[in-house]
Amino acid sequence: MKKVTLYTLSTCPVCKKVRKFLDDKGIAYTVIEVDSLGDSEQWVATKELSRHNPRASYPTVVIEDVVVGYDIDALTEKLP
Amino acid sequence: MTPDHLYHAFAKYAESLGIQLNKDREFVLDIIAGLLKNEERYGYRSCPCRLATGLKERDEDIICPCRYKDDDITEFGSCYCALYVSRDWNEDNLPHAPVPERRLPRK
Repeated sequence: MKKVTLYTLSTCPVCKKVRKFLDDKGIAYTVIEVDSLGDSEQWVATKELSRHNPRASYPTVVIEDVVVGYDIDALTEKLP
Repeated sequence: MTPDHLYHAFAKYAESLGIQLNKDREFVLDIIAGLLKNEERYGYRSCPCRLATGLKERDEDIICPCRYKDDDITEFGSCYCALYVSRDWNEDNLPHAPVPERRLPRK
């Protein structure tokens, strides 16, 4: 299972293009529209984004593998 | 100012510099909508593809046309948000690659 997070800005057309790409592929994702957040939430989101993309630029899509439980097959596949 | 007015003003400005607006008119109008939204909420037209602080002195470099436009167009044929592009970019003589963020992260 993959966890997909899209960091975006409400004013950014390129962000909309990425979002449409994910929608067209039927991919489930979480959107964080950073410019629409309050100050403190925005600070936290920017810090989190910077962990993945030091320039904290937009759009950024973070794709994380998620393994739930003692699933040796999935762990083996994800961690060769 | 209406988006259409701005479109023509930006087109003239680009022409004066020997560059062009992105040939995708709808995309440009979307960028202009973003610029106008930022002008409304911050008081200045900060780049729609960059997070503004709302403090003009901290965002001077990303007020459109941003300080990085010329270097980005020289290197990639397009500015960061692809509003302003070179003729080659518009004629697909160049790849439309994402332009990396030239701006250094804020402390």
